[in-house]
Amino acid sequence: MHQFDRAFRFVLPAGAVAVLLTVLTVGWFTQPDRFAKGYAPEQPIPFSHELHAGTLRMQCQYCHSGVDKSRVAGIPSVDLCMSCHKVTRTDRPAIQKLAKVAASGEPMLWQRVHTLPDHVFFDHRPHVNAGITCQSCHGEVQTMKVVTREMGMRMGNCLACHRDPHAALPAGSKITRGAENCAACHR
Amino acid sequence: MKTRLPEHGPIETPRFWRTLEERIETPEAQRAAHDEFLPGAIPTGPDYDDVHGLPPQNGVSRRDFLGLVSAAAALAATVACDRKGQGTVVPYTKRPVEVVPGVANYYASATHEGRRVYPVLVKTREGRPIHLTGNDEHPGVKGKTSPRVMADVLRLYDPDRLRAPKAQGHVASWADVEAQLHGALRGAKAAGKPVLLVSGAVVSPSRKALLADLKTTLPTLEYLAYEPAVGDAAEVAAQASFGQAVDLQPRLDKAKVILSLGADFLNGEDPEAQAAWGAKRRLKSAKDEINRLWVLEGPLTLTGTNADQRVPVSPSRLGAVAFALAKELAAKGVALPAGTDLSGIPAGAPAGIPAATWSNLVKDLRAAGRNAVVLCGAQMPAEAHQASHLLNAMLGSEAVAVRAAEPLATVKDLEAAAQKMASGAYAAVLFWDVNPAYTYPKAAQWKEAVAKVPFRAWIGQVEDETAAQCQLLLPENHWLESWGDYATPGAAVLQQPAIGTLYDTRQGEDLLLGLLKALGATVPDGYHAYLQVRWKKELPFGTSFEQALHDGLVKGDAKASAPVFKGASVAAAAKKATAAKADGLELVLFPGFATHDGRHANNSWLQETPDPITKMTWDNPVAVSVQDAKALGLEEGDWVSLSLDGATLRLPAVIQPGQAQGVLALALGYGRTTGGVAKGMGVNAFPLVGLDPASAHVRGGAKLAKAGGKKELSRTQSHHRMEGRDLVRSLTMDEFAHDPQGHHHGPELVTLYEEQRFPDHKWGMVIDLAACTGCSACMVACQSENNVPTVGPEQVARGREMHWIRIDRYYEGELENPKVVHQPMLCQHCDNAPCENVCPVNATNHSPEGLNQMAYNRCVGTRYCANNCPYKVRRFNFLEYTAYKTEPETLANNPEVTVRPRGVMEKCSFCVQRINDVKIRAKGDGRAILDGEITTACMAGCPSDAIVFGDLKDPKSKVSQLVAASRAYRVLEELGVKPAITYLADLKNPAVEATVGGHHEA
Repeated sequence: MHQFDRAFRFVLPAGAVAVLLTVLTVGWFTQPDRFAKGYAPEQPIPFSHELHAGTLRMQCQYCHSGVDKSRVAGIPSVDLCMSCHKVTRTDRPAIQKLAKVAASGEPMLWQRVHTLPDHVFFDHRPHVNAGITCQSCHGEVQTMKVVTREMGMRMGNCLACHRDPHAALPAGSKITRGAENCAACHR
Repeated sequence: MKTRLPEHGPIETPRFWRTLEERIETPEAQRAAHDEFLPGAIPTGPDYDDVHGLPPQNGVSRRDFLGLVSAAAALAATVACDRKGQGTVVPYTKRPVEVVPGVANYYASATHEGRRVYPVLVKTREGRPIHLTGNDEHPGVKGKTSPRVMADVLRLYDPDRLRAPKAQGHVASWADVEAQLHGALRGAKAAGKPVLLVSGAVVSPSRKALLADLKTTLPTLEYLAYEPAVGDAAEVAAQASFGQAVDLQPRLDKAKVILSLGADFLNGEDPEAQAAWGAKRRLKSAKDEINRLWVLEGPLTLTGTNADQRVPVSPSRLGAVAFALAKELAAKGVALPAGTDLSGIPAGAPAGIPAATWSNLVKDLRAAGRNAVVLCGAQMPAEAHQASHLLNAMLGSEAVAVRAAEPLATVKDLEAAAQKMASGAYAAVLFWDVNPAYTYPKAAQWKEAVAKVPFRAWIGQVEDETAAQCQLLLPENHWLESWGDYATPGAAVLQQPAIGTLYDTRQGEDLLLGLLKALGATVPDGYHAYLQVRWKKELPFGTSFEQALHDGLVKGDAKASAPVFKGASVAAAAKKATAAKADGLELVLFPGFATHDGRHANNSWLQETPDPITKMTWDNPVAVSVQDAKALGLEEGDWVSLSLDGATLRLPAVIQPGQAQGVLALALGYGRTTGGVAKGMGVNAFPLVGLDPASAHVRGGAKLAKAGGKKELSRTQSHHRMEGRDLVRSLTMDEFAHDPQGHHHGPELVTLYEEQRFPDHKWGMVIDLAACTGCSACMVACQSENNVPTVGPEQVARGREMHWIRIDRYYEGELENPKVVHQPMLCQHCDNAPCENVCPVNATNHSPEGLNQMAYNRCVGTRYCANNCPYKVRRFNFLEYTAYKTEPETLANNPEVTVRPRGVMEKCSFCVQRINDVKIRAKGDGRAILDGEITTACMAGCPSDAIVFGDLKDPKSKVSQLVAASRAYRVLEELGVKPAITYLADLKNPAVEATVGGHHEA
């Protein structure tokens, strides 16, 4: 067999397949929301959004009260939990742990579920004030026992909605587009 | 660069110039003008160690090694890749009601520097102060403060702060050190032996009361309030003229004619004076009233650069000149105060002042009368001060308020204290927030004397030269962690802590209260309670202490009779003023712009802010006049030895245009031997301060000689040069009235590109050069707001400073007495920005609101944009300036702005974080953005309100109206880049017939 013939018959196709496989494998492993979806770290207190936001129908803003005032929605302070749990379900071990933290003043270290790089300055205020529901980005939190990440919060996620926000916005909203310039989020 | 002054004047000179090199067109300067980066700014050679700026090395270079290591690490990281480790969120356990995470809170507080009080507004995020501005409720400062106060937020997070008390060199508990302190002073009280307390100026009524209480309980207490860089001559003169210590406060809103005798009231220290100055200079039309500033001074000061008429006069002659002025005015019919004897003063114009100038000055002062004011620089000899007191009394000036003040100790009092210490008379000595082991002229003698005192305690923040001598070190709170109060004209001001103590420190007043208690007095528990007790008695009816704390002040003026000028003091002063002067050069020692008397030397923001005149950073070279430099054959940066009275300093020299012949100028506050930032920067000039308080900072008989060699100066004035193009414009009032645009006719701009469209807003800025004094407050405000890193002297020398806004200082006219124009220069946010076209990764592009935005995460560091920027305002992170920083330093960062890493370009963003915040809040409230609601940090920090920011799409906005003003022009408009910043031409108001000031008709 001629030297070139062999190269064309075996080496090239094998090489092409190898390259394709590599690209596909790397691409699958690094696809934006593969890492993102399903991340549900264990929290110091097994707080259930399903119970509080779902069954009890508490407003999200009751606890995440910064969401319309601040860039960050904020994790509620321990004393806010204690405003109910001083008397409610004080027999549960998790609530006793909570009470201990509240009494000692020790900080409570919640595991981050959603995070953004340091050069991204997402602001909750305009989104919430435009009537976009929390679920648009954070998933159906009121059905989650353990908060699980639904969206990768990558720039593609942001831009997809900013370019066509009608699905996230309430009916009748006059907003047709979100900002797409760099300085809207990066500064 | 070689800067030999030409034997004959240059053949052709540019109208405006910034450096001597530029003026005499050395080949190096011409070459530098063509390159964006200075020689050495860009590392060359494959092995160049550009992290440390070291020359190439043999073997595997650091760079290659790091490359291999990081490749290996990246590989390892990829293999071990996991999505865990997103970090933790830590909410408050008990959230303070007023804190919403992510929202800034503002608290009113106050601080002081010497006798000057600064009511401030502290911006805090999640409880940590990050930015300071003036308190806008205060009737005097109206929301402005000084650059040094703004930078003081960094001192709170100084990693060198002493974090726990020390006894005999070892960390100890407060109980231990207090037991020692109380024991020693109880012993002194029992033995009836004197105790010395040395501290700074007292401007707080409660502190004054506390000291009085201490004096009652400990009758042997001796107290010295010492301000080493500003006090002495003014104090001596005030005692002579008024028989008591006074504080003279300019009221420039009432002044039509201002005569400065070496007074530097426009250097940013006095926001009140600067606001009044700005208001008189931001003219809409030539018919508006303008003031006139006459300056007689030796060194060129910032005030001198803003003068309408400036005459270089050596400081020792200022007294004689001012008395001659008084005599001339008296001869023209202005009444002299009773008992004034000016017979020793020769009549007529003093030597060196042209007759026409003299007669204009006399005419101006006489015509303005009550609206004229004479201000004298704190460092000038006492006779000059007394002459200024006399002139103000003669004119009946309403433009200066004379207020009684607490007396300051002079260098003579310290000398007496040193002698008494050396004799072993004192049982104990306490140093509170002062550093005499560094600031006393004869430091060796002082230290010897202090060592003879058996018990020595020190209260302060960063261990300094004085602390090295003390057995007990008591770490003190920063003022942002302390309580206090101040008396200011127009309001009583309260100081409250904006943060709890970061370390195991206490407030100085609390320590004194503890001492009082230990000595048997009944006092409230803690200074907060002490303050409350005093204030509740004095608060006006209906005002609560809490309300006063919230506002930071209670408006109203304490009734006090103004001290009266005593004419009898004049004869002696006049005689002294005309006495013969020593041979040799005359040295003027002034507080450093960045360091003051050394107390700010450990602040890198200030050290890197260029001196507004010499544009030096991190150093204090001696400034030599052009004439003397020529005579001595000196070049810029030459090492010289400066000797006076047995003390000799070796330091670099700079040649200062406009400085009077025979005068040397040197900044105090450098050459510290302690402090991570301050140590080894510049030389300590305090050994040259005189022991005669009447003229401690102006010394005759100095000798200057070349010491061989040259120092590379960390100087920014030659950086980012913009060739001889028409960048600054300065108009006389005459030109303003008749032809404000002069020969500059707007070029017809043609463009191949589509016109930019801005649907909602178009942000723009107007900078009024007539109001800008060059004080650099904007630079510090920007540094604090935008997390601008400092780079250090070696990097500044290579042109790698990172400031987003700089002040370009241009000279115009003759070398010996040039006119000066200051021009703040920042990103112009051009509509057709040249930087945007050349970015290969589209990291810099245009926003639909007219901002030239910079996406750091996209930047790959090609630096093409900087090369293509006609304004030279882009800054590249050549090295890693921030990532290695840890707490507490990082706590000073603004969490709303990215901290940039190595390898990316950055520049002014028009404070886009503030724009976005206001936009979002307005949207939430369902309203339009108000004009003036968005303030950039530079605008908010500018004490003379020279900067206006706003929406150019809104025809009613202030900025839109100013853009159409007759003085308006855009820098390099002819390039067609369409900058969003409009400058208003500088204004000078010279006396019509005058020939001084080097004015050339354009």
